[in-house]
Amino acid sequence: MKMKKLSDIASSRRTWAWPYVLFLGLFVVLPLVLIAYFAFTDNHGSFTIQNLVKFFTQSEAISTFLYSVFIAVLNTIICLLLGYPAAYIMAMKEFRTPQTLAILFIMPMWINFLLRTVATVELFNMVGIPLGEGALLFGLCYDYLPFMIYPIYNTLQKMDYSLIEAAQDLGANRAKCFRKVVLPLSMPGIYSGIVMVFMPTVSTFAIAELLTHNNIKLFGSLIQDYITTSDLLNYGAMLSLILLVIIGITSFFGGDEEGEKGGLI
Amino acid sequence: MIRRNLSICLTLMLSLMVCAQTNLSFELRVLTNQKTALLDSIPNPLLGEKVNVQPHIILMGSEADSLPYKTADFIVSSAAFGEADLLAAFDSVYSFQVEAENGEMTSLVLWRNNKEIKNAQKRATRNNAYDAMENYLRTQTTPPSLLLTYLYWGSAAVLLLALLAYLFFTIKNRRDEKTMTSVQRETIRRKRANQRRHLISQSYLWILLLVLYAPIILILVYSFTESKVFGNWTGFSGQLYLNLFSGKGGTALNSAIINTVLIALIAAFSSTILGTLAAIGIYNMRARQRKAVTFLNSVPMINPDIITGISLFLLFVALGVTQGFVTVCIAHIVFCTPYVVLSVLPRLSGMNPNIYEAALDLGATPFLALRKVLVPELWPGMLSGFVLALTLSVDDFGVTFFTKGSGGLETLSTFIYADARKGGLTPELRPLFSLILLVLLSILIYINIRKKRQNK
Repeated sequence: MKMKKLSDIASSRRTWAWPYVLFLGLFVVLPLVLIAYFAFTDNHGSFTIQNLVKFFTQSEAISTFLYSVFIAVLNTIICLLLGYPAAYIMAMKEFRTPQTLAILFIMPMWINFLLRTVATVELFNMVGIPLGEGALLFGLCYDYLPFMIYPIYNTLQKMDYSLIEAAQDLGANRAKCFRKVVLPLSMPGIYSGIVMVFMPTVSTFAIAELLTHNNIKLFGSLIQDYITTSDLLNYGAMLSLILLVIIGITSFFGGDEEGEKGGLI
Repeated sequence: MIRRNLSICLTLMLSLMVCAQTNLSFELRVLTNQKTALLDSIPNPLLGEKVNVQPHIILMGSEADSLPYKTADFIVSSAAFGEADLLAAFDSVYSFQVEAENGEMTSLVLWRNNKEIKNAQKRATRNNAYDAMENYLRTQTTPPSLLLTYLYWGSAAVLLLALLAYLFFTIKNRRDEKTMTSVQRETIRRKRANQRRHLISQSYLWILLLVLYAPIILILVYSFTESKVFGNWTGFSGQLYLNLFSGKGGTALNSAIINTVLIALIAAFSSTILGTLAAIGIYNMRARQRKAVTFLNSVPMINPDIITGISLFLLFVALGVTQGFVTVCIAHIVFCTPYVVLSVLPRLSGMNPNIYEAALDLGATPFLALRKVLVPELWPGMLSGFVLALTLSVDDFGVTFFTKGSGGLETLSTFIYADARKGGLTPELRPLFSLILLVLLSILIYINIRKKRQNK
């Protein structure tokens, strides 16, 4: 009798997730399926691959796409090069960095990024940097550097420090110790940092517009343009689907370390 | 050793020279600023009144209506004005163009799509405009803006001081080392190397922080001036703060603030409840089921906001739902809940799984057991999930943009975007975000201090 009751309770608690699963199905899975549906249909709802063909034949879309990926890769590299040393310095005990600094590095993430971007544009105007490709990279780096620093800092901080001491005791010099011990151990952080920077950069749409006075169009802006024009909605959906594929590939390679974000507080 | 010192000295000298170079070009800018300040007070032919701003970009043509030239102070739009007005406005625009030809002010004029008009006008009014401006400039003087001068000279001075200090200490150290034994010399060198490493690493961090915070500091500084245009200092004033609190920032801003807060609260509350229940459910699932749901849960987190936004937009289009407040709320719940689930799950695995069952055995209804047993245990996770959802919702732009519909609903993010596109931010946004920044900063520092105290 008692056993039956226990199993009842267990199953009833499992059902607590059902509303959420239903919710996910309706508002996450179905919309993603709809992107694919709209991408492969025309205005009247009949099946077509015209949109896909259009993407590969229309030079604007494909060149914008390649350019966006290029900018995103470049931005990710810059963020990694700037962010890794910062995370390393903050996480390693030998540098005696105060803990508050780490928080200061995450802080900008909490301020509206559009306002930050507008302020960045203003800063460029004051110092006399022309708005263009350079400004775009600079601004993107501003916006996404914290996303690179945070996961790397997290992994480095959790790393077992005695491993480094052991390496040093065994005669490794600084460079070798870094190359053979610290870097391999921080790889998960680097991966998730790359994912967290690359994915928003490749899909960004408002930042590029503000930073370049709409002179440079990134893929996100292109999608935005098409999606908001009702005639071209299906083509916009196709472009979104392509972006989604890129995102899927990236997150597959990066592993899903996105959960790192959940520990911000 | 000497070679390395020499190279460091050379680098410093070089950076000093670069700094001086920027300074030189900066003086040119100050000069042009002075002139632009004068040009500002030339009557704008379109408005027939004196414009008290620094023109950065003059925009003409039909694109003026749609493009985000926030720094444009003269916006001549073909939709609002006829061709005659365009041509009338042209004189003042043309004046800037002349300046640009003189090798200054090149950044001030931006032409788009109006080459033909420009060329026609060039022939006609070149001399007139130039003469008029020259005369005007001769009769007027205004003080130059000093902020950047201070900035440049300040950085130059700091660099120079650093260089001098470096030279001083190297010479002093060299002299000290002469009287030491070789062992002493070795230890002291090692110590110094450590100190240097520490200094370099810390200054790297601080410089990076400074660069990262420069725009934010700019917002903070310019919240204390009344100027309508961001980046234009018209004297210290707390007027914007007063405006913000008395609601004079315009009804659009006020409703955007209210919408943002409302949506954030609704989304955070709903997603906390939904997410907590889901987390409890997921925790009690069998492995394979749990894996599937956790994967599904991570999808909205991996998706960039543009994809989430577009997919929901398409859903609402397909369902024929009118988009507005409700759809934005739903969309925010979609991307907030996964984070709540992830904040609550670790608390669940940390608690004793038997106490809930014990409560049921003692006669509690599942709801009572949830309230009296589970919630108190999960409270910290729920709270951090709630706060995270709140900040995510307030900060969101991409999803809101696609789901807000065309009913004129604006949250702060979309309001800023629309504002920046139109040209010129609503000035009251500066004090608003300065306050948010200060509150956030103090909360984070408080949490940090408390954590440190607890650790002790």
